[in-house]
Amino acid sequence: MCVKGAVLFSLAAALGYAADAPTLKPVSFIACPVYRDTNQGRKSGCWLADDHESGVRYDIGGGRAKPQIGHEVLVEGVVANSTDVCGGAVLAPVYTAVLETRCPAVMLPPENYPGRAFQVSAKSVLPPMDVERPLPPPPYESQQWVIQFNFQSDFLLYQYSEVILDAAARYIKASGAKRVLVTGYAATKEMQVSGRTLSEPSALAKTRAESVAEALRRLGVDPRQMHVSWRKDPEPIASNDGLEEPSKRRVTIRAEL
Amino acid sequence: MFAAIDGSNCPSLPQDERASHSLLLERGTFRVARPWPPVDADGKKIAPQFDIEVVRDPTGCNTSAVYGLHGKHPAVSVFRRPRPATNLKYLTAVGFVFEPKNGFPLPIDPESGQRMSGNLLADSRAGTLKLQLLDAMHTHLETEGNLHPEQIQRILDFEGQLYTAQSVDFVGGKLDDGGAHGGPETLALSKPGVLKSSKDVQWVEYSPWAALATTNTAGSSDAQRLFRESVARGAAIFRDRTFLISDSSGLNSMNFGNPTRDGCNFCHNMTRTGMDVAPGQVDLGTTNEPFADSAPDLPLFKLTCHAGETPHPFLGAVVYTHDPGFALTTGRCVDIGKITMQSMRGLAARAPYFSNGSARTLRDVVEFYNRRYNIGLTEQEKQDLTNLMSVL
Repeated sequence: MCVKGAVLFSLAAALGYAADAPTLKPVSFIACPVYRDTNQGRKSGCWLADDHESGVRYDIGGGRAKPQIGHEVLVEGVVANSTDVCGGAVLAPVYTAVLETRCPAVMLPPENYPGRAFQVSAKSVLPPMDVERPLPPPPYESQQWVIQFNFQSDFLLYQYSEVILDAAARYIKASGAKRVLVTGYAATKEMQVSGRTLSEPSALAKTRAESVAEALRRLGVDPRQMHVSWRKDPEPIASNDGLEEPSKRRVTIRAEL
Repeated sequence: MFAAIDGSNCPSLPQDERASHSLLLERGTFRVARPWPPVDADGKKIAPQFDIEVVRDPTGCNTSAVYGLHGKHPAVSVFRRPRPATNLKYLTAVGFVFEPKNGFPLPIDPESGQRMSGNLLADSRAGTLKLQLLDAMHTHLETEGNLHPEQIQRILDFEGQLYTAQSVDFVGGKLDDGGAHGGPETLALSKPGVLKSSKDVQWVEYSPWAALATTNTAGSSDAQRLFRESVARGAAIFRDRTFLISDSSGLNSMNFGNPTRDGCNFCHNMTRTGMDVAPGQVDLGTTNEPFADSAPDLPLFKLTCHAGETPHPFLGAVVYTHDPGFALTTGRCVDIGKITMQSMRGLAARAPYFSNGSARTLRDVVEFYNRRYNIGLTEQEKQDLTNLMSVL
């Protein structure tokens, strides 16, 4: 079960990219992000970043996590054929990670760019607690879920991670799984981006795994069921978003019946 | 007439002098002494991610040999407004399982098996009303020992039935008049923990006042009608006006980005009370420099995050603050200056505002937000928001 792919495409659909099949032209670079205050309502501003090597300005605002002005950002994305509404070539899917290195905080006015309204897929949000939901019905089989993380982060991203964690916990409960394997990974192998060498610390694999295990515990999964481990330098997951590096920053949850 | 332990600037001061109670008299704040380093719910010491130094100590309490940071029982004294012990079902309500600001499901109270809302107390040091009352008993009341379970239950039963809200305004008249549903009765009857939406509209209590100019207003004066229309406009601004929210740890540090465009009810999103349905720990800048208002009468602390720890996302590894807030509970740098949002009901009679009493009036609250987030409110909009808050 490739949850990651499903969520990516639901996000792309929510942002209006569904009709634009990715051309599988991955780009990755480090830049100082620029916020363009296109006002299409809540959470609607544009995020732009220039790839110094190509000179291309990209629209990087379509990812799960938005950048922060004043901090450099690692951008990994695929060029899409979407209409430019922000002042940059659209990357979709796109992953952005806030880096510790500082840079000037820059904001632009709309300058006639319309921007786009914020939308979130219904599949990316959980209902309120008081909404009754039946547990997944049988038949059951061993299942695996994947939760991706931002570069150098163990933060469980909102409107993404909780949906997967909730689905996993409910399936584990319904199926009576005997063992739950929680495995954290960190992309410790160095990669070159914009002339810099980047990698994740191996300790991140552990904290990612422990974060997921703690979240599952709070969702009612018995800690005695869980086997928590961590590894470095993982293989990428075969995926259809054209981006291998982001897939290495992950935790897998495997329910064994 | 005030207890030395929390009603004076420090118990070590001469209690018969007015100056020894200046923070209560001038700011309406009580002393809260938090153990340092912090301890978890089981009383186990938490290893803090930062060192804390006292930069300025106008009360003398943080440098006191008895009560200070290096005293016999090391503590950090901060000064906070008391929170209303009413409308409590809204404080303990849990709308959603996950807390988006930290990514985890809300913790479960082992005693009741219920999830804890995280919305009690400025620094969220107690997860349940029972823990809150025991904390208050041992600190503010200086009581040894414990209460019997029946006594605890009687207190919980008593406070659980109390509801407060503004019910009359000098100009606006009765607040459940003209189709409105102000006042405490609606609070008592309504469901808590409801997230605002197009279906559950924030401050719908005063929506009927939006159309007074076109409806029958017989019996109401022009002043009253104008006030009521202003309240309805204020509610609309609260709901609909967006602005750039920036550098606020807890909000901009999750995946919404910094800045992010949103409005008042981005955070004040629970219907009826304007609290956060998720736990509402946010660093608005009411206590952290450089956003905090000048406060020479309050202590100032320098917090230095340890190398290798994640610093405050917007203020860096060194933060100057009047009150570390949530970080006094968690010991984490990212939580420095986060203060739990509180209920917006019954405000008119409870000045001053914010946890440290830094806003003298409701208008000052509006001015703070307008300044902090460069909202650009007009004079009329400021008055509308002030009027709204005065009738909640």
